[in-house]
Amino acid sequence: MPSQPPLPPLLAPYVSNLPDSSLTLVSSILGATSNWLVLRFLHAALSSPSPNVAFGSDELQNGTKKKVVLVSFMRSYEFWRTEAKRLGLDLARLADKQQFAFIDGLSELFYAPQPTATSPSISPAGLGSSPRTTLPMRSPPGVVPGRSPQPAGPTVTGVRGNATSKQAEPGIAKKLHFSGRGLASLDALEKDISSVIEQQKSSMEDGDELLLIIDQPDLLLAATGPSMGIGATEMSEWITALQQHAHATVLTLATDAPLIHNASTSGGLATPIETEHAALVIGLAHRARSVMQLRTLDTGAAKDVSGVLRISRGGGLNVSEESLEEREALYFIQRDGGVKLFGRGES
Amino acid sequence: MSFRKRNIGLSPGVDRNAVPNATSQPAVPETTPGIRPSPDDGRPTTSTGTRSLDNLLAGHAGLPMGKILLVEENGTTDFAGALLRYYAAEGVIQEQKVHVVGVPEQWGRSLPGLIGSAESLDEKRSDRRKDDRMKIAWRYERLGEFGAVAGSRGAPTNPGEQDTAAKEAPAFCHAFDLTKRLTHPSITNMSFIPVMSSKESPFLAILKRLQTAITSSAANTIHRIVIPSLLNPTIYPPNASQPEHVLQFFHALKALMSAYNTRVTAMITVPLSLYPRSSGLVRWIELLSDGVIELCPFPHSADAMATSGAATSQEEPPQGMLKTHRLPVLHERGGGSDQNVGQDWAFVLSRRRFEIKPFSLPPAEGDTEAQEASAPGGMPKKSDLEF
Amino acid sequence: MAPINLSHRRTHNLLLISKLLSLRDTASPLTLVLDSLEQPATPLLKEYIRRAKLSKVHVTLIAFETLKQPDGVDAFVSTRRKSPADIVKEVSAVYQPVAASNPSRRRLILIDSINPLLNSKRVDTGFHLPSFLGSFIAPTLPSAKVDASLVVTYHQDIPELPQQSPYSPTPISELTYLATSIITLHSFSHVLAQKAARDRSLAPPVFGLEEEQEGVLLGRLDRLVGTGKAEGIVIELEHRRKSGRGVLEWYLLPPASRYSPQHLKEIVTLLDDNVLYNPPMERDLVAGDEEPTSTFELGLTDRQRREREGVVLPYFDAQHNDGPGEGGRILYDMGEEDDFDEEEDEI
Repeated sequence: MPSQPPLPPLLAPYVSNLPDSSLTLVSSILGATSNWLVLRFLHAALSSPSPNVAFGSDELQNGTKKKVVLVSFMRSYEFWRTEAKRLGLDLARLADKQQFAFIDGLSELFYAPQPTATSPSISPAGLGSSPRTTLPMRSPPGVVPGRSPQPAGPTVTGVRGNATSKQAEPGIAKKLHFSGRGLASLDALEKDISSVIEQQKSSMEDGDELLLIIDQPDLLLAATGPSMGIGATEMSEWITALQQHAHATVLTLATDAPLIHNASTSGGLATPIETEHAALVIGLAHRARSVMQLRTLDTGAAKDVSGVLRISRGGGLNVSEESLEEREALYFIQRDGGVKLFGRGES
Repeated sequence: MSFRKRNIGLSPGVDRNAVPNATSQPAVPETTPGIRPSPDDGRPTTSTGTRSLDNLLAGHAGLPMGKILLVEENGTTDFAGALLRYYAAEGVIQEQKVHVVGVPEQWGRSLPGLIGSAESLDEKRSDRRKDDRMKIAWRYERLGEFGAVAGSRGAPTNPGEQDTAAKEAPAFCHAFDLTKRLTHPSITNMSFIPVMSSKESPFLAILKRLQTAITSSAANTIHRIVIPSLLNPTIYPPNASQPEHVLQFFHALKALMSAYNTRVTAMITVPLSLYPRSSGLVRWIELLSDGVIELCPFPHSADAMATSGAATSQEEPPQGMLKTHRLPVLHERGGGSDQNVGQDWAFVLSRRRFEIKPFSLPPAEGDTEAQEASAPGGMPKKSDLEF
Repeated sequence: MAPINLSHRRTHNLLLISKLLSLRDTASPLTLVLDSLEQPATPLLKEYIRRAKLSKVHVTLIAFETLKQPDGVDAFVSTRRKSPADIVKEVSAVYQPVAASNPSRRRLILIDSINPLLNSKRVDTGFHLPSFLGSFIAPTLPSAKVDASLVVTYHQDIPELPQQSPYSPTPISELTYLATSIITLHSFSHVLAQKAARDRSLAPPVFGLEEEQEGVLLGRLDRLVGTGKAEGIVIELEHRRKSGRGVLEWYLLPPASRYSPQHLKEIVTLLDDNVLYNPPMERDLVAGDEEPTSTFELGLTDRQRREREGVVLPYFDAQHNDGPGEGGRILYDMGEEDDFDEEEDEI
C-alpha cells in the first residue's frame, strides 16, 4: 500500500460524487499522463468503505453502490489491474462481483489476429515461460510481479485451450473491434459498449450509480479521421450516446500543443488530424462539468514534482445550481504509486 | 566510506524488497539469456545494446519487455540508425528473433561487430564516471550501474546464488564496434519484412507477418522488432503517412506488445526533418509509444564543439543533445520520481560505443587537475585503472 | 464624457438590451451568441430562459451538446442522427399543439451550439445555412402568427474545418452577416485584468487557449477573481436596428445568484457604470483642491511672490557676456556674510 492515502484529500471532492449526467474531462500531454488520475476515479467509486479512508470520501459511501465500466483504448487490462492493485483495488474480484467491467479497446481494435486455435503455443498462459512439465498455472515464470495467480486458476486455462470465444479471458468484459467506416463502425462500437453497460445495470438497485470512464477516445478519431467518414462531430455524438447510458462520464483526452494549437494558429494549414482533434476536445470541454488538466511544470522537470493539475469549471457546469472551486496544484507520483498533491511552495 | 564499497555489497534482485513477490517467481534471466528483472520493480527487461541508453530508461537498466521505444532524430545524420543497429546486434547475440521492417538484408550484414560484454569495456569507464557523478544520490547511481554490479563482479552477500548467477548468466549488454561486421551463427535468423505498397494500409502485411512470427514461435522465444526510419518516403509508399494507416499500425503494434508483454520489444526511429514534432501526426505516434527519445545532433563543425561540451579534456566532445520526452513505465504511471527526467543529456558516438552522459558546460580549461584531485573518495585503485 | 451624454446612452442602451433579452417586439429575430471556454454562454442562455418564463414565451432548445432537458425549457429537440431538415420539422412539430391553443404566442428557439452542425461530415453539400436558420424564424403556419426569436450559440474557439467550397464565405462570416444582433461574451475578471494592463500601457493578458501553453485548455481560475466582486459576464452587444443603424455597447450581467428568478426589473447594467471597471474619479478631483495640512506655512504672500519673480538668476547674467570661453562662468558677487577661503575657492 502506498504511504500516501490512495485518494489525496485535496482531490477527493473532484473525483467522487459526480452529479447525474455530468461529463468530466481529464486532459493529459505526452510528459504528463492521466492514468494515475483515472485510477483515482476508480478508487473513489470502487473502494469499499472502511473506517480509515481519507476524509472527504467516507461520507459518499453511504447507501449508493457504484459500478464502473472502463473502456480503454490505450492500455491493456493487465496494466490497469496491476496499477489498481497498488492502490488496494482488486479489479478481478470487483469484476466477479459485477461492480467493475473492463472493455478492451486496445487488443483487437484495428487488427484482430487470425484465429490460431490450432497452435498450442498461443495460449496466453504460456507467454514468456520456458517449457515446463508442471501443472499449468495462470501465472507462468517470468510474468510481471503483481500478476498474482488468478482465482480461476487452471480451469480457466483448460477452458481456453479449445474456446474460440474472445470473451473467455478473465476480467475483460468485451474486446472492441473496429470495422468498416463512418457512422456504421461507430454504431457497432457503441452497441458493444452499451451492451456491457446494460448488463452491469441489470444487477443494479435503485440509487446505484454507474460511472463510465473512456480512456482516450480521441485515439479513435486520430486513427480513423475524416477520410474514413469520422470527424469531431461524429465522435462527440458517439460520446453523447454513451453518456446517456451512464450516470456520470469521465473522458481522458490528449491536449498536446500540436493537437490543440496548430488548428488555430497556422491559418488553414493545419492537418485534418489536428483540426478534428482540437474541435473534439474543445467541443467536449464546452460540454464538460469540470476539466482536469494535467501538464508538466512550466519551468522544466523537477525531481519531486511530476506535473501540474489544474481543475477548471467546464462550459457545461450549471453555475446556478452548484459551485466548483477551481484550483491548481502540483502533484508527485511516488515510486509506490501513491500521489502527493500540494500547492505551489508547499511540499 | 566510498561508494564503491557499498555498491559491491549490494546484490541485485535480492535486496530489492520493493518487489515482494520477485523471489516467489523464478526470475527470467536464469532461463532466457538477455533478459533480467528490472532493479526498479522486477519486470523483465532486455538490453538495447547501448549501455548508457539502458541506464537512461527510468531505473529499469534496460528496455522493459512489451514496450516500444521511439527514437527521433533531427537533421540528416543517422545516429538513431546506429542505436538501432546496436539494438539489432544485441538481439542477434542474445539469440533473440530480430524482425527488421522495411530495409533489405544488407542492413543486417552491416551490423556492428562484437567486442565483448559491455561490462568489460565499461569497467574503467564506470569507475571514473562514478567519481564524476558524485552529485547523484548513491542509491540512484546504483540503479544506473546495476548491470556492472550484477554481471561482472559477483556480489559477495549471497555467495552461493550470486556466484552461480555470475558464472552462468551471460552478459546482459554487449559492446560493438561500428567499423567491424557482426558474425554470429544466429545472424541468419533475422527476418526482414519488406514494405509493399498497396491500396490498403501498407502496414497490414507487416502486422500479419509479425503476428504470425510471434504466435508460431516457441513460447520462450524473445522477439525484437526493429523499424528503421519509419515513414521515410524512400521506404514507405506515400499513403503510409495517412493517420488511419500509420496510427492504426502503431495501435495494433501496441496491442501486440501488450498481448505478448514478456516476449517482445520494439525500437523505431523516425526522421524528424520529414515529420516534425510539431505536427499532430508525430505527436500521436509519440503518444502511442512507451518511450520517446529525441536526438538533436550538433552542427558538423566538431572543432568548435571541442571546448563547449566535454566535461573534461579526456572525454570526447558531445556530438549532440539527447532529450527524453517519455520513458517507458515511468510515464505510464504518471511521471516524476526519476532523476533522469528533465536533465540535459549529450551523446557521443565513437567507434566502440554510443554514450549518453549529462550535458554540462566544461570548467575553465586547465582546471581539470584541480577537479580530479578534489574528486571525493580518493580511490586507491583509480590510478592503476586510469593511467 | 459629458454626464448628459452618458445618461442618455444609459437609458437607450439599457432599454435595448432589456428588449433583446426579453424578446420584446421581436427586436432581434436572429441573435448570435459568440462564446468561448473562458466565458461559456450557459449563464446567458439561462437568463434568456428565465425571462422567457416570466413573460410566458414558449422555449424550444435544439440540443447539439446538451444531454438532458434543462429547467424551464418547454420542448427539447435532440439532434443526434438527424438531418437538418428533420430538425426543422421536429422543431415546428413540437410547437403545433401549443400554437393551436394559443395562436399568438411568442416562442424562443435556442440552439446550444451550432458548431457540430457546421463541422459535421454527414451533412451533405446541399446544406444551406441561411435557409436552415430562416426556416425556424419564418412562420410555419400561415394562419397562426408566431413571433419566433432564434438564439444561436457559436463557440469561437472550436476551429473551423476547411471549406468544401473555397469560394463561399465561411460559416462564421455568414452567421455574423445574417444575425441582427451579435453578442460576444467575455469573462468579467478577464476584462478587468485586460483593462488594468491597458491602463498601464501593457500588452493585455490572454487566457486559456490563447496562452498557447501546452496542456492548458482553460485559464479561468478563481484566484484571478480574487475577492469575488468581479462576478458576472460581460456582454458585448452589436445590434443592427431596423433603420440600419448599428449600436455597440458593453454590458454586465450579474451572476444568477444575485437576484431571484422572479426578479422583474432590469438587472443588466452598462459596463461603464460598474465600479470595478470604472472606478469613480470625482472624489480624487475634489481632493486635489484641498491643501495638505501642515504646521508650516507653505504658501507665499503676494509680496513674496513678486520679489521671487524679480530675482535675476545667475545664468541669465552669464549669457550677456558673449566672449568665447566665458559662457560657463559663474558670476557671483560676494556678500559680507560670505566667508571667502582663498585656498579652497580659487577659481
